[in-house]
Amino acid sequence: MRYLIKNGSIIDPARRVATIGNVLVEDGKVVQVIDLADLTLAPEPLNEHTEVINARGAVIAPGFLDLHAHVREPGDEHKETIETAAKAAAAGGFTTLCVMPDTHPAIDCAAVARQVRDIARRRALVRIEPIGAITLGRAGQTLTEMAELVESGCVGFSDEGNTVADAAVMRNALAYAAMLDVPIMAHCEDTRLTRGWGMHDGAVSIRLGLPGYPAAAEEVIVARDIALAEMTGAHLHICHVSTAGSVALIRAAKARGVRVTAEVTPHHLTLTDQWVLGNLAAVRVEGKSLHRSGRDRAEINDEGLDLPSRLKPTLLPPYHPSTRVRPPLRTEQDVEALIEGLRDGTIDAIASDHEPQSAIDKECEYRLAAPGISSLETALGLALTLVHRGKLDLVDLVAKFTEGPATVLGRAPATLRPGSPADIVIFNPDSLWTVDPTKFFSKGRNTPLAGQQLKGQVMLTMCRGQIVFRRGNFGVGTGALQQASRLEGILGSENEE
Amino acid sequence: MSAPASAATARGRRRHVLDLDDFSTQEIDEILDTAVSMKEVLGRAIKQVPTLRGKTIVNMFFEDSTRTRISFELAGKALSANVVNFTARGSSVEKGESLIDTVRTLQALGADMLVMRHSESGAPYLVAQHFHGSVINAGDGRHAHPTQALLDLFTVRQRLGRIEGLKVVIVGDILHSRVARSNLWGFTRMGASVTLCAPQTLIGPESFWKATWPDLTITSNLDECIMGADVVMTLRLQKERMEGGLIPSLREYSRFFALTAERVARAAPHCLVMHPGPMNEGVEIMPDVAVSTQSVIEEQVANGVAVRMALLYRLSGE
Amino acid sequence: MAEKQILDADDIRRAITRIAHEITERNAGVRDVALVGIRQRGVPLAMRIAAVLEEIERVRVPVGILDITLYRDDLGIRGPAPVVRATDIPFDINGRTVVLVDDVLYTGRTVRAALDALTDFGRPARIQLAVLIDRGHRELPIRADFVGKNVPTSRDERIATRLHEVDGDVEGVFIVRTAETATE
Repeated sequence: MRYLIKNGSIIDPARRVATIGNVLVEDGKVVQVIDLADLTLAPEPLNEHTEVINARGAVIAPGFLDLHAHVREPGDEHKETIETAAKAAAAGGFTTLCVMPDTHPAIDCAAVARQVRDIARRRALVRIEPIGAITLGRAGQTLTEMAELVESGCVGFSDEGNTVADAAVMRNALAYAAMLDVPIMAHCEDTRLTRGWGMHDGAVSIRLGLPGYPAAAEEVIVARDIALAEMTGAHLHICHVSTAGSVALIRAAKARGVRVTAEVTPHHLTLTDQWVLGNLAAVRVEGKSLHRSGRDRAEINDEGLDLPSRLKPTLLPPYHPSTRVRPPLRTEQDVEALIEGLRDGTIDAIASDHEPQSAIDKECEYRLAAPGISSLETALGLALTLVHRGKLDLVDLVAKFTEGPATVLGRAPATLRPGSPADIVIFNPDSLWTVDPTKFFSKGRNTPLAGQQLKGQVMLTMCRGQIVFRRGNFGVGTGALQQASRLEGILGSENEE
Repeated sequence: MSAPASAATARGRRRHVLDLDDFSTQEIDEILDTAVSMKEVLGRAIKQVPTLRGKTIVNMFFEDSTRTRISFELAGKALSANVVNFTARGSSVEKGESLIDTVRTLQALGADMLVMRHSESGAPYLVAQHFHGSVINAGDGRHAHPTQALLDLFTVRQRLGRIEGLKVVIVGDILHSRVARSNLWGFTRMGASVTLCAPQTLIGPESFWKATWPDLTITSNLDECIMGADVVMTLRLQKERMEGGLIPSLREYSRFFALTAERVARAAPHCLVMHPGPMNEGVEIMPDVAVSTQSVIEEQVANGVAVRMALLYRLSGE
Repeated sequence: MAEKQILDADDIRRAITRIAHEITERNAGVRDVALVGIRQRGVPLAMRIAAVLEEIERVRVPVGILDITLYRDDLGIRGPAPVVRATDIPFDINGRTVVLVDDVLYTGRTVRAALDALTDFGRPARIQLAVLIDRGHRELPIRADFVGKNVPTSRDERIATRLHEVDGDVEGVFIVRTAETATE
């Protein structure tokens, strides 16, 4: 099959390119990229086997690479499977998913890694790459057979969800992984400081009477692991950075040449602990707003925080378990520092930390709710709020989903250069949509964004030259986007939401 | 998305009592006024009025609390309601049935009001989203204990004639105290100036508190802050706090933070001594202070029934 | 909203005097008689009747105050629960003749509630009812023993009693025509 993707804004961070033009795909590869300026010169490479995808007004970019997803298989298939996670990934624009080893059993031996890859080969629409556990059973004591795991396709190591509490074990893990030239992806949490935690330790936790998860609980382990990486010369990757203090530590480490990289989730970049307060933030008594916490009081009104625009934490009741995530949602100051870290390169990648949970894990008392957000399908829309607020350039944002994570894995970034595999995402950065978790491809409906309006949506995803997700009849015919979206309600397609 | 756990109905009338944060001064005044009348009812030979005849109140207690449960039970019965006690030890999850399922069951059994005590902060908000009647929070985790705060306000107003302008000192384990939080809302809303006094480990950073209650004073020096106080309220110190390493020893805590006769003598001559109970005499309060003429601790308990009657009555309106 | 005065201050004074005399006649004096005013305006009326009784009988008749809010049968029907005011009956009603006093008798539901409330305080020998105005439209089998004035009304009218103890300078009884549901 041949596809001619026409008239889109081509963003290829690896080539520092942003132009309008066409992309021709054939036999799973990008074969031609034509700048609009040169279009008149070249005849349209059409034949009867070519499907034309009209991408006018949309962005064409390399498929996204997610460093951090929990797909729950094997072991917790009621929460998610590799198949459903891959569908969700495709709908979110991701063509590669690195899957965390906190499955049951954990990915701590070659057999499980091979099983994951085998299921993926048979069932997954996108590329699935396992991350191996650092220690057996993620228990923090005995190193896994890392060399064999790498041989079995593992791209990095993590005890994600658990911190390797013993610094000596962590040092050995780093040194051993350095030999294999794969990153150790660290979940940084001093669990003695987070015992019984409910939410971020701050003004809101005090107000709601929830035990705190201090910023320092993350930062002490970030600092420790940086010191150990410096000592071993290993590549340390910090998972889901959430605090201003961690950003500062990583920035300083990078400046002195430590091999450290970092990722941040879309939710930590955009949501704050005010989301746990929910509609209590809008309680007014005798005409006075009760909440004067944080810096920018003027930004809070009945419509919710003006951070980011359009998102309204007051749609949620207080203590809504969908806002419970680990590490917890932090403060506005932390959000600002994370954005700055993205901008200056301290943070290399945006990773979903997709953590699907079943309804019974979430419909309970706040502190008893399983942490996590089902985030693959909202990641781009949420991250784009940074672009719409003028905090980040669109090309830089795309780079954080493509080039950045590729660098973390030590590989050449995905690109639209002719000859590259046709892993492509087409998204409309300006289309408004309302998040409806009941329409998720993921089994996890756990998101605090239900009912929120996002701006920017994936329209089509191609993996290995195959269309793995298409919104409605996107790109069909010669009409513009508007026509496609009008048809969406009338005609269905295989990948219809 | 579930409906917001708004405490008020569309017409502006209160449906739930989850915390005092959304109470106006007028509403608090009206409740305290009504409680005066309820106290009169409790003084009669026949301590019962027919107001809530035919209504069913379920006391849903997931945490032991003889005092609060009996107080609510007496309040409901004095108003002629059917009062049913549902007590479950431990969390709903350990029990196997979820909190939401329990609430749905009680609703199917015909409960009109749920009075709930739960060890998890915020649990009443979850229940309020799933229960069609009224929910009264009888204490949730560290978060809130609004009826305790109302009875404290009532006791102070009865004794001192006003709340506005009073200097109120709350001393003890503030960090873990729902009583402290609800009293903070209550006393500050009614115009008192509140000082919180605790060792640093039992309160946390000052800025965290001031973000919500900007006019608060926070200190670790009881000897100093008690000077001229009109009300001093001390909180129960759970023995686990010591095991958790939050204080070096009960002895040291008691030396610097207990209410002693000498310390109370530094307060205003009319100063009221309060304690939400149950007391650890010899730890946070000395036995002689607990029974002194300035102590209103027993009165707090007695007033609790009248205040809870006032609340049950108000929630029964259309 | 049209307002028509039906009693002025003098009319009220005369009506109270007459009621006081009728109470002494009916009960052959005022030994064992006690007055209980129903909040709001029954209370000053009871005080005034007691003052007249003291003049004519040289006996100070005890006066109690009754708030019937907790005994109403329309809680949960008529909107927000009103603030409950104090009830104060500082004497033993057992074996006494208790005269309930209110300003207007209408459906009879207030009196029904007052009777329930009163019996919670004891067992009076008998209960009598004195009202300044009887406007008809009874919904319960209740009648007044002593009536200041019978005033035929329609249901969309309202009787407004103004007494200086409660209402300041104004004194009188008025018929108010209103589109809203009539209330006492």
